[in-house]
Amino acid sequence: MLKIKDLHVNVAGKEILKGLDLEINAGETHAIMGLNGAGKSTLANTIAGRDDYEVTKGTIEFMGQDMMEMEPHERVAAGLFLGFQYPVEIPGVSNLNFLRTALNSVRKLNGEDDMSAAEFMKLVREKATHLNMDPDMLKRFVNVGFSGGEKKRNEMVQMAVLNPKLAVLDETDSGLDIDALKTVAEGINVQRREDTAVLLITHYQRLLSYVQPDKVHVMIDGKIVKSGGKELALELEEKGYADVA
Amino acid sequence: MDDAVIQSYEKQAEALEGSVAGMDDLRAKAIKDFAAQGFPHVKAEDWRYSDLKTLRTKAFSPANHAGETPDIPKAFTDCAARFVFVNGRFSESRSDMGDLWQAASVRPLANHFMANPDRAAELVRGRDGVGMLNTALAKDGMVIAVPAGVEIDDPVEIIHIMTGADDCAAHSRHIVELGEGASVHIIERFIGDDSSYWTNSMLQARVTESAKLYHTRLQEEGANAIHTSKAYVNVGAGGQYHACNLSLGAKVGRFEAYVRLLSDESNATIDGVALAGTGQSHDTLTHISHTMPHTTSDQIFRTVADSRGKTSFQGKVTVDKDAQKVEADQSFKALVFDRTAEANAKPELEIFADDVKCSHGATVGDLDAKAIFYLTSRGIDPVTARQMLVEAFAAAALERIEIEPLRDALMARVGDWMAERKAKPIPENKSRVE
Repeated sequence: MLKIKDLHVNVAGKEILKGLDLEINAGETHAIMGLNGAGKSTLANTIAGRDDYEVTKGTIEFMGQDMMEMEPHERVAAGLFLGFQYPVEIPGVSNLNFLRTALNSVRKLNGEDDMSAAEFMKLVREKATHLNMDPDMLKRFVNVGFSGGEKKRNEMVQMAVLNPKLAVLDETDSGLDIDALKTVAEGINVQRREDTAVLLITHYQRLLSYVQPDKVHVMIDGKIVKSGGKELALELEEKGYADVA
Repeated sequence: MDDAVIQSYEKQAEALEGSVAGMDDLRAKAIKDFAAQGFPHVKAEDWRYSDLKTLRTKAFSPANHAGETPDIPKAFTDCAARFVFVNGRFSESRSDMGDLWQAASVRPLANHFMANPDRAAELVRGRDGVGMLNTALAKDGMVIAVPAGVEIDDPVEIIHIMTGADDCAAHSRHIVELGEGASVHIIERFIGDDSSYWTNSMLQARVTESAKLYHTRLQEEGANAIHTSKAYVNVGAGGQYHACNLSLGAKVGRFEAYVRLLSDESNATIDGVALAGTGQSHDTLTHISHTMPHTTSDQIFRTVADSRGKTSFQGKVTVDKDAQKVEADQSFKALVFDRTAEANAKPELEIFADDVKCSHGATVGDLDAKAIFYLTSRGIDPVTARQMLVEAFAAAALERIEIEPLRDALMARVGDWMAERKAKPIPENKSRVE
């Protein structure tokens, strides 16, 4: 599903990713762990196609397509979802309007008709309820006045509505209390299917107790230095990055 | 200023002698004052953002009745009456008098002072050349007086249409008088074709005790027009002046609101949105005078300037020495889409009382790149993302319009304006703050 080969990325003229390789297949959940500054968020943002992340070498292939040729919104239509470490507040745009515009934009790019208002409301209410989100929050402006946990929950609602093939979740577990963590983990687990894949980017092992990965990668200084099974996460937690790597 | 221009206007004023009962003396004084000072120059502090060079170099003739009947735009909502002015002249046949006359006194300016010529002295004279010329040359307008206790539910629309009016001007003067506890919503629309005309309009209002005047303006003049308009409003105890202006049209557009809060608990709420495309200039000047204690004012302005567009906001709030416990808020935010776009903000607070709450804020910048990425990362294309953000930005200044279809219509104008910008790629983030 996702094939990254020898990826080099500059941010503000400085090389952050220095030859990264990663392959994720349908049905798999991977976790990338690493310290601050290792380049984890750079990887997530590069996959999503953010400006200012300059790919100087290497390739990213998603669903058999060259991702470098695709605009950020086209990547979403192809089935990518990026869960933000810091979800953005958008005053004046309601959550519902945002979700509906997003969903219908994706449907349009995939040659489908708009979802009817009634069908959409039913879908969103169902997803929000499942993720313990107060339906009133759907009417509020996107992330404005939301707590850290509510913002992350909102990311999960967006993911559930857009139903991506590949979810890249950047530090989705940071800043969550244990109840919120469990809800978010539940949201991720629902998304794990035969035909989908998840890439968790995280600092800590904590989330991985609730979302058990098939593979764990250790990232240091812009490269993946070690890969293994889920036991690697525990080893990291115990011994620290320096010893494991 | 060009003497020939002044002479031409003197002649125009002379020709109007006897056209409006009671106004001759006022006209004579106003044209004399105008001749003495001419049009304001950009060097004048209040006019630094609007260049009236065109007006200084050539005289605009009185606009004549148009031969062809222009289309009257559809109403936004049910109206108590719709008054149509074509090239500055009241067009009874195109107007819809509705049932407003049953509840309020409605008559054209020309007849207004017939019974009481002395009352013409109550007309606002204007303190600059533009206002003086309006006083000297206005011969048409609506006078709407709502008796005490009468609330007109549906809005009253005044539509100004300019057509085939190259180098012609229309000077109109509207008067609104609200008795105690009365209320009315006036919608003013300004539209026109591509001719190079000048609309010079003034509305003066007296809002007495506990009365409410809502005033929504939509300026969609033609691309080559000059638009200057002024509102002078006096508000009594517990009264309210609630205005919202959306400026889209004209090459050079300017709206001024002068509001005097004359007694306890009187309020002025003035909001506005201006969208300047390439080569357009939109200037808004407000002056709210808090002359008495416990008066309040609140202003929200949002402007957007595309390449080589310019928006300006000058907001003056004065609080007199004995006007304690006044609250006055003012917020101005501007978006500029590239380095050639310009936004000017000049908040001015003159406070002579010591127990007041006054605030003002002004920001200028481009759309938030993080917000654009967030929207595109959910599958929304960048053009739609920008449109959503601009609509949200402008909504803050339009959402206090209480009539929903009217508010929606104005919001839709903002969306349409952004949609028109699709064709042009918008250059990278740059902003400038004066």
